[in-house]
Amino acid sequence: MEKKKITIALAGNPNVGKTTLFNAITGARQHVGNWPGVTVEKKTGKRTYKDTEVEVVDLPGTYSLTAYSLDEVVARDYVVEEKPDVVVQIVDATNLERNLYLTTQLMELGSKVVIALNMWDLAESRGDKIDTRKMEDFLEIPVVKTVANRAEGIDALLEEVVREADKGEHHEHEVSYGDDIEKKIIELEKIVGKDSALSGKYPVRWLSVKLLDGDENILEKIEGSSVATQVNSVLSAIKKEDYEAAMAEKRYETINTVLPQVCVKCVKEVTFSDMIDRVVTNKYLGIPVFLAMMWAAFEVTFTVATPLMEFVDMFFGWLAGVVAQSITNPVLGSLLGDGIVAGVGAVMIFLPNILLLFLMISLLEDSGYMARAAFVMDKLMYKIGLNGRSFIPLLMGFGCNVPAIMATRTIEDEKDRLVTILVNPFISCGARLPVYLMLAGAFFGRQAGTVIFGIYILGIIVAILSAKLIRGTVVKGKPSPFIMELPPYRLPTLKASAIHMWEKGSIYLKKAGTIILAGVVFVWLLSAIPAPGVDAAFASEEILGTEDSLVGVLGHIIEPLVAPLGFDWKVAVALVFGFIAKEIVIGSMGVLYGTGEDEDALAEILTAGSMTPLTALGLMVFTLLYAPCIACVGVVKKETGSWKWTLFMVAYGTTLAWIAAFLIFRIGTAIGWGL
Amino acid sequence: MANTNKMIFAMVAGILYVVFGILKMLEGLGIETGLAESLLIPGDFFGGFCFVVIGSVFLYAVKELSAGVHMGVSYVYVGILMSLVFMAVYLLVMGADLLMFYAVKSEDYEGWRIIDSMRPGIYLGLLSLIGYFSWKDRFTTEMTNV
Repeated sequence: MEKKKITIALAGNPNVGKTTLFNAITGARQHVGNWPGVTVEKKTGKRTYKDTEVEVVDLPGTYSLTAYSLDEVVARDYVVEEKPDVVVQIVDATNLERNLYLTTQLMELGSKVVIALNMWDLAESRGDKIDTRKMEDFLEIPVVKTVANRAEGIDALLEEVVREADKGEHHEHEVSYGDDIEKKIIELEKIVGKDSALSGKYPVRWLSVKLLDGDENILEKIEGSSVATQVNSVLSAIKKEDYEAAMAEKRYETINTVLPQVCVKCVKEVTFSDMIDRVVTNKYLGIPVFLAMMWAAFEVTFTVATPLMEFVDMFFGWLAGVVAQSITNPVLGSLLGDGIVAGVGAVMIFLPNILLLFLMISLLEDSGYMARAAFVMDKLMYKIGLNGRSFIPLLMGFGCNVPAIMATRTIEDEKDRLVTILVNPFISCGARLPVYLMLAGAFFGRQAGTVIFGIYILGIIVAILSAKLIRGTVVKGKPSPFIMELPPYRLPTLKASAIHMWEKGSIYLKKAGTIILAGVVFVWLLSAIPAPGVDAAFASEEILGTEDSLVGVLGHIIEPLVAPLGFDWKVAVALVFGFIAKEIVIGSMGVLYGTGEDEDALAEILTAGSMTPLTALGLMVFTLLYAPCIACVGVVKKETGSWKWTLFMVAYGTTLAWIAAFLIFRIGTAIGWGL
Repeated sequence: MANTNKMIFAMVAGILYVVFGILKMLEGLGIETGLAESLLIPGDFFGGFCFVVIGSVFLYAVKELSAGVHMGVSYVYVGILMSLVFMAVYLLVMGADLLMFYAVKSEDYEGWRIIDSMRPGIYLGLLSLIGYFSWKDRFTTEMTNV
């Protein structure tokens, strides 16, 4: 017998556990975080429950069906246009009032809804008593208790979903908006009902309510219809802002009538979240506390990783030995030893740092602290022309700028979003870390951690100043106000944080095995081909990585551009190839300086005269600021939809990098540092 | 009475963290304080700054509690949490040093002793540990009952 197929959409406010529930239902491992805006695109998965094949669509969080930001548009459009068989609304049991606002809108739309009352254990633990039976009676919607992070209540939820999908009859629920608004709704219903294309696709009352709500998307739909003039004449006679506010108030009135009958809050107690928030959002202490927490994360990343790096180094040293002993063909031996093992090994050695950095970021995200960080930074962000919502994508940039730029979709204002995208690459991603670690370790000894922390802080400062500059010049305008819900603090589980760490870390591993491998092989190839006019064999010792190779010719062409910064042709080549992926900067240097995967040998060569602490610092700053990797450039083009802004970002960053490295080198030299 | 104890605790912890933080910052800037060896204080500017922040959180608690603001206890609680986080960080660093000495046998660690990795963050954290276990759940219940 063929299986029945249904599609369900997981909808709900931001940060109520939609993605966790999606993972629990489908067995997927999508990234979840304890702050709003983690899901910015819809994701799909499948699950077979009894004789039904259930397609599950995880939607970005939305507070209402009147969408304001891009991610909310994605969610709203799916529910409205695609009409899934059942909408599962995940309701945060600890915040019923706000969550039920979306429920009222789903009910008005006429969707078949099942409520997953998530985190009810948290609600109960703080003294709330929720009567789900009464809730079902009042709302006429099935309610199932779930604890998504422990996969509790999943089967009961699916059972209810399948039963709801099978139900033939279904009626729309109505919120009573009072006489004046109801009159307007009826007036609009009569007009909209005349357009069969519209009335055939959407409930007429819902369309009328949305028109009075000032929903831009519905207004656009009406513009193209046969009843546009009549609708506009009704709408022009009313003050839309007043109607929007009054309707929201009525919805909350409805909720507040139901709420006391289904939920009894026994104790109003002070929670640990309240206590922590009082401190971490304090006007004076908020930002210093944030800096202290970031420092702790970096200290673990850099110091604790040291012995683990040594183990990776030992492994690649052993591998290089095996290659040297067992490959007799000199070209193949050089490709494997000097190219692949050297290049990839030089990058892989930093895997422990990368994993620990991601673990720290995951712990901060999962605990709920990141949302507070955005909150305390809002005032500062506003001063520079952005709002607090921009801070989360900027923080995400510490991991990787690509998802961070995608996360800007949560920013409602287009100008705020554009500026956040343009400055995001200045936030130092994990891929740039190997460059800092190698150079700071070689030149700054026990102060290496401080220097690297300083580089990260510099990235933040440059991003802030650039945002201010761009906001005041090319993207003029005031930032939009920032409203964000602070999620409750949760003790991060080691398992969840380890999964997040692995998700991000495995991308680094994949990169090492693909793009970085290809990049270093290409660099080796160029360094193994003799330059025109040079009489030497391919991959012979006398030309490998020297000025007599093709890479030498290329390096000398670019060298004049970077010579004023104190960089030689090898660094120039490494920076050019760093455009493919930042990790290649170190991989290329390993190949070009002929030190293989041995970081200590590379450090020794550099400190022996190839570089000074000043040029090393300049190179770190240049790596921080210059054009981001090709994947990042691609995502900027996709998200801005503009080559003009993409090229602006690349040119602006590279120019800034050049000026900063030049100033460091010249001023430092003039005052006698690092000579 | 309960808040008096917490206020005294916050004052002692606050002063200790601020003083040790300043010493670490001075040592980090290369200014000899003469106390680095006896108190096991490394030169570390940013690490010192973090200590000053923790100390300030404790001292803010003193300010609020002495003004009769019961929620000032929040600052004692968060100060304790922050100092425990930093204690954990320094214990992890000590663990890494241990690995460098025993497993990696790094030349840089020749003659290393566990005391070499002992940091003020660890022994000051012990004070917070006592505070944490003394008042753990009472922080919120006492607030609720006010």
